[in-house]
Amino acid sequence: MFLQQLVNGISVGGIYALIASGYALIYSLLGFSNWAHGEVAMLGAYVALLFTASLQLPFIAAAIIGIGGAAIISFLNERLAYRRIRENKAPTMFLMIAAMGLSIVFQNGSMLLFGAKFQKFPPIMPVSSISIGSVHVGVLDLLTLAVAAVALIVLEIVITKTKFGLGIRAIASNTATAGLLGINTNKMFALVFAIAGALAGMAGVLLGLKYNVYPTMGNIGLKAFIASVFGGLGSVRGAIVGAIVIGVTEVMVSGYLSSGLRDLITFALLIIILLIKPSGLMGVSVEEKA
Amino acid sequence: MFSDYTQGIMIIACINMIAVLGISVLTGFTRLFSFGNAGFMSIGAYTSALLTAKMGMPFIPAILVGILFAGIAAYLLGSLTLKLKGDYFLITTLGFGEMVRVLFNYIPITGGARGLSGIPKYTTLPIAVICLVLAVIIAWTLIHSKYGRNFTAIREQEIAAESVGIDITRSKKMAFVFSAMFAGWAGALYAHNLMFLSPMMFNLAKSAELTITVVIGGLGSLTGSIFGSLVVTLLPEIFRSLANYRMFLYGLAVVLIIILRPAGLFGYREFSIRKSIAFVKAAPGTITALLKGKSSKDKMEARK
Amino acid sequence: MTPVLEIKNVTKNFGGVRAIDDFSVKIEPGKIHGLIGPNGAGKTTIFNNITGILTPCNGTIIFDEKEITGKKPHEIAQYGIGRTFQNIRLFSNLSVLQNVILACSMDAQYNLIDAFIRSPRYRRMEKQISEKAMSLLESVGLDGNCDEIASKLPYGHQRKLEIARAIALNPKLILLDEPAAGMNADESAELVGFILEIKERHEFTVLMIEHHMDVVTNLCDYVTVLNFGKTIASGTPAEVKKNEHVIEAYLGGAEGC
Repeated sequence: MFLQQLVNGISVGGIYALIASGYALIYSLLGFSNWAHGEVAMLGAYVALLFTASLQLPFIAAAIIGIGGAAIISFLNERLAYRRIRENKAPTMFLMIAAMGLSIVFQNGSMLLFGAKFQKFPPIMPVSSISIGSVHVGVLDLLTLAVAAVALIVLEIVITKTKFGLGIRAIASNTATAGLLGINTNKMFALVFAIAGALAGMAGVLLGLKYNVYPTMGNIGLKAFIASVFGGLGSVRGAIVGAIVIGVTEVMVSGYLSSGLRDLITFALLIIILLIKPSGLMGVSVEEKA
Repeated sequence: MFSDYTQGIMIIACINMIAVLGISVLTGFTRLFSFGNAGFMSIGAYTSALLTAKMGMPFIPAILVGILFAGIAAYLLGSLTLKLKGDYFLITTLGFGEMVRVLFNYIPITGGARGLSGIPKYTTLPIAVICLVLAVIIAWTLIHSKYGRNFTAIREQEIAAESVGIDITRSKKMAFVFSAMFAGWAGALYAHNLMFLSPMMFNLAKSAELTITVVIGGLGSLTGSIFGSLVVTLLPEIFRSLANYRMFLYGLAVVLIIILRPAGLFGYREFSIRKSIAFVKAAPGTITALLKGKSSKDKMEARK
Repeated sequence: MTPVLEIKNVTKNFGGVRAIDDFSVKIEPGKIHGLIGPNGAGKTTIFNNITGILTPCNGTIIFDEKEITGKKPHEIAQYGIGRTFQNIRLFSNLSVLQNVILACSMDAQYNLIDAFIRSPRYRRMEKQISEKAMSLLESVGLDGNCDEIASKLPYGHQRKLEIARAIALNPKLILLDEPAAGMNADESAELVGFILEIKERHEFTVLMIEHHMDVVTNLCDYVTVLNFGKTIASGTPAEVKKNEHVIEAYLGGAEGC
């Protein structure tokens, strides 16, 4: 029972982590929380669903199209909205408000387009769970876990080992200087948004498989946001750790206490952690130089 | 004088404006964000409603107790969390709001998720208007005293504010408690207008709406916040036939305003009758300029 | 004469790096004291320790015969230490006049009730504050710009406004962090005259960080030279210029000014 819950918790955490790492990436570059990111995941799920349901494409192909669609939507957010706001030299808080506006647009737009009903992917797995000894583990949970782990490991390698990743880290430490060193910051932002979007799209598809696809499923972005704050804003690794902690906590509280108390305990835990570590688990405390 | 329908909308507008004024002081003047003010609203709403409905307390003392409880909650939360910076503080307010909502869902005295009914209808249009006028006077006085100046100093330059002797922790706490008390006030009026309460009414979307309204109206402008609140409350009513598209258009409007009018409708300046008269006098010239395709920035200059 | 400010054996570490190492200095009242040294020598860190933005790991700071070590920045400002910043920190979106008025909050000894009923005390103090702010702006020569937005002022004016804002605290001591940074020879010469003049008028003591040696030579009564967080020389400007440690610190490190 406990092990089963743990696997379930980690797999939920893995989905959160896919979105939360995008939050962290974008925060590390632009210093704002992209509140529309959960909706990008939702849109990715809808795109994949459309391609499986109406075009009868095999699931894998549809999933890839969904992920690509989410990447494009995320890129368009940056290109059409955030970049203009940056060019206005508006304070960063305006980016956050614009993101909130976008999230309302996407949520209600998909309500208009697809209706409020819950939709399901056609079943893709022959069996729903496998047994190892006396432990039953959901196949989907294991799949989710595997996909999330591979995606996040690739992300980690890209950030730490490639020239592109070096560029990201350079911008994160100082946008202006990175620009002077010849890094095309706008291009980097666009790419990062696309990558974050792809990860979110992946989360959306996995979430749709596990539960349902519906217009407000993007509210999961809030959980991912909490995870990224929990781990320390702007820290990708922190976001992943935070996501897993939150996923496991939620599943455990629902399983052993009451699902009604789930959010109460998650938030209480978050506030306590921040009181002990004001910049999250792995965040760097930035001392403003006088 | 007005139809019931119109009166109902006017009452809602007054209530929203009171809650928005609180956020205006907090976000527009102090640049602190709270996504927990719906939580403070619910504290004011439930406290006052339980007092009138279950204990028969008269309306005004019940409002005052509601405001007080919201203020105390903000004081306690702020004492713990105002040391946190930026989004870290923001998320604790968000968490607080959600925790209050879950709690009201859970404890029996509030009626839980089924809601609390049987609240007397005390909020009439005159009462709502009187409360709004009072709220405007209080907010205006605060902003134009040294306290408001300290808020503004924090918004502009926290480190410099400290260096000229402003106790920023104390000022932030004051702005936070103030905004929570206004939220509690709005909540108390709301409860006795609707005569029914459910925790879902005070969700994150409500908190976000308050902040969005202030940004649309323009940061650092009380009149802008009032105007923004009017737009956000009334536009959906005007476009009632488009009910399904309402939220979609609202979101779109928010994004467009942020992109096209970064300072909001009235950023950093107050609407004044004297300046408007000057604007009207200068209008012929301005209108020709506008027809020639001048940007709205020039219009603001002309108003100045 | 008792010093206005006395720093005794202050040490400050950042992680493993010792930014200030056993630093001591006495600032005599009415003097202009210069703090010079190559980049990264720990000068601004000393300012931040004095003003409470940072807390020293060791040592004590005594201002006006009171210990201020570890006090909060606003408390230290209230004791009477004003400061300016290396990268100017004005209340950028506000007018020049408002910038100074915001710095007068300590003069507003009224409470919330006074403000709400607009008591005579409230009105009197608000009037005094406006008058004080105007006269300060006159004193620094910015009275003609009082309605301009601070961030729109020319650079030199912004420096002056920041100094005016510091004087609004009625300070005994003002810390100037590179007031002549980014100025050419003419502008720095004007700044020297300006500082001397307002210092006489408002009777404060100055501790300043400066890289322009001509400004230091013309202004400072006394100079402390810092390198790697340690005092390497002190004396009158003429004395330290001859000091071989100083010459080495500046010429040895090619990036010296």
